[in-house]
Amino acid sequence: MTTMIDLKNVSYRYPVSDDFALKNVSFSIEKGKFTAIIGNNGSGKTTLCNTIRGFVPHFYKGDLEGDVIVDQTNMKDYQLGQLGEKVGYVFQNPFIQVSGVKDNVFEEVAYGLENLGVPVEEIKVRVEEVLKLVKIEHLREKNPFELSGGQRQRVALASIIVMDPEILVIDEPTSQLDPIGTEHIFDIIRLMKERGKTIILVEHKMDLIAEYADNLLVMHEGQLVMQGPVREVFANPAFEQYQIQYPHVTDIALQLQKSGIPLSFLPIRDEELADALNMTGGVTHD
Amino acid sequence: MKRSFKDDFNMMAMLLIPIAVAINLVGFQLANVLRLPIFLDTIGTILVGVIAGPWVALLAGLITNLINAIFNPVYLPYALTSIAIGVGTGYLSKSGFFKTVPKSIISGVIITFIAVIVSAPITVLVFGGATGNTSSLITATFLASGQELWSAVFSSTFITEIADKVVSVLIVFFVVRKMSDRYLSKMNYGHLYMKRTNKK
Amino acid sequence: MKKNALLQLHPMTKFYFSLFILAIVLVVPGHLFAFAMFPVLVLVAIFAGVAKEFLNIVLKALLSVLIIVFIMQMFFYPGEHVLWSWKVFSIKQEGLNYGLILTSRILAIGSAFILFFRMTEVRDFVKSLEDKGLPPMGAYVVLSTLQIIPEMKRQANTIMEAQKTRGVETEGSLFIRAKAFIPTLTPLILSSIAGTEERAITLESRAFSAPVKKTSLHKLTKSSADRVLPIMYVIIFVALLVWRVFL
Repeated sequence: MTTMIDLKNVSYRYPVSDDFALKNVSFSIEKGKFTAIIGNNGSGKTTLCNTIRGFVPHFYKGDLEGDVIVDQTNMKDYQLGQLGEKVGYVFQNPFIQVSGVKDNVFEEVAYGLENLGVPVEEIKVRVEEVLKLVKIEHLREKNPFELSGGQRQRVALASIIVMDPEILVIDEPTSQLDPIGTEHIFDIIRLMKERGKTIILVEHKMDLIAEYADNLLVMHEGQLVMQGPVREVFANPAFEQYQIQYPHVTDIALQLQKSGIPLSFLPIRDEELADALNMTGGVTHD
Repeated sequence: MKRSFKDDFNMMAMLLIPIAVAINLVGFQLANVLRLPIFLDTIGTILVGVIAGPWVALLAGLITNLINAIFNPVYLPYALTSIAIGVGTGYLSKSGFFKTVPKSIISGVIITFIAVIVSAPITVLVFGGATGNTSSLITATFLASGQELWSAVFSSTFITEIADKVVSVLIVFFVVRKMSDRYLSKMNYGHLYMKRTNKK
Repeated sequence: MKKNALLQLHPMTKFYFSLFILAIVLVVPGHLFAFAMFPVLVLVAIFAGVAKEFLNIVLKALLSVLIIVFIMQMFFYPGEHVLWSWKVFSIKQEGLNYGLILTSRILAIGSAFILFFRMTEVRDFVKSLEDKGLPPMGAYVVLSTLQIIPEMKRQANTIMEAQKTRGVETEGSLFIRAKAFIPTLTPLILSSIAGTEERAITLESRAFSAPVKKTSLHKLTKSSADRVLPIMYVIIFVALLVWRVFL
């Protein structure tokens, strides 16, 4: 399997700060894998996303130590403008992710392709396709400034997906959205996973992470404290000390375990709870 | 650190320009709505002059006038004034003239002179001495009392500009004081106004 | 804008026309020629279907200026030939002449540019400038400004309403009204400026600084009229210049 992203002993300090936002972080991500970054506020998740996307150091300046290798090339050797095609970036605030120069959604989505110099006929085909995929065809004539937060976030996602980057870095895309908006976004993310994209997602919604992610990176105070397949990380007793939320079903299972009910494995998805309990031969109530 | 002319045109600085133009227009509108006797239509230009330097402010001033000119071509010749104010403010900022209140007031006066020296000739040469705003009345009064055209226009322009520019400069001073260090560190000349000294 | 032959002209052709009017009005002496330009412009406006907006703006923007300019010259332009006087005020022939010249020029040139902007979408104008070499960042700045202005005006209103509910007064003495200004403007400035960092990141995510030549969904086309008209402008201008210099 190809390694898409490789960080070796990466530490980073923002220009105005005395502290290092990232301390000696090392990990690899393979092509096509879905990695979730979790951690409490201030743990360095967004900085890590910025590093993968190259905003650190090309946009934010500051001190970057260690090696960041994306798609076989060291971040130092990339120009910021070249990364738009390789690494898509979607972040929290839907209101700022509007280009600010287009007055309808169709052109808004096309904007990235215009910047990449894609021929006009191809642009039209690709934008149509993505509008269908993201289910925002009905918004095509609307002014981006008239959309709701959830709609804007879908348009933002569409605008990045249309550029067809191999890697998608998505930083808390649903924190400002309601449950329906969240669902729409995760539908799109799932589609991207099915297409084989390498996805890096920062989220707090553990249930959704448990459902979609392959691997977890756990950040705490700038350090990468745990990494590995999702199940293993949640099942590892060390996870508890970082005070990060578990998926709901895992939480319940752990409580049950503490009250003496044995589990055959630690469930991370709702549908697994029955199995985890049944296989112990415990009493089930109807 | 010596900044070259080209250095000033980075993306963050350029993104300030639309905001500066909008602030100029909104400031003017707000002053109208509140029926204040001063224009307050250059706050944006002065603000970016302070934090982003003369060349960015030049563009902000120019674009403000161009956009105003779409609806009123009288603004077009006065683009020179906006440009001069932007450049002047930028150089004053570089020389540290916005670091304290007294120095800022002096800057305000200097900027007034700049505005007058550029505007008055435009008013005389293009419009024959008056365009119909408040200064025209004052000009007329001076002329009626026997003054020559040039000195009448210079005097009336100065009178209408001094309060406006000094107040605008002070508003900018206080707004810059409220900006976070983190933000200022990204601005061309933000380092002059940061609270903490930067470690390299 | 509804489409017709005049509106479909390339933006530069229309812009050159306004420059052409500027040039010939300054070359030809006296006021009659310049005044005559105005009906010509009105005619063009009618053919382009923009007469109503055109006249509207001319009235709003130019009328008061023209009146003031004329009155000022009439009364205060230095001269010997007094036509009428009362106390300190006297109307002089020279003033009348100069007033006519000045107002005719302001009318002609001002209207020419007002007409241009009624006949051209700013977006198209910016695109034509880009074709001529305006850097993409320049085009972005202008277009972004146009979108931000109404947004900010809306925000300013919202903030002012919010401040009113907090007890900030907007009616009353000058001092009271002045006090309302800063609490309305300051949050607007700070929040807009704080957003530029994320806006820069958004642009980067859309490959704004990709080192390639950009393409565009909208293309401007040049018809034969667009090739011929600018040449005609130059010919007429040079002819008038020659006439002025040698006759």
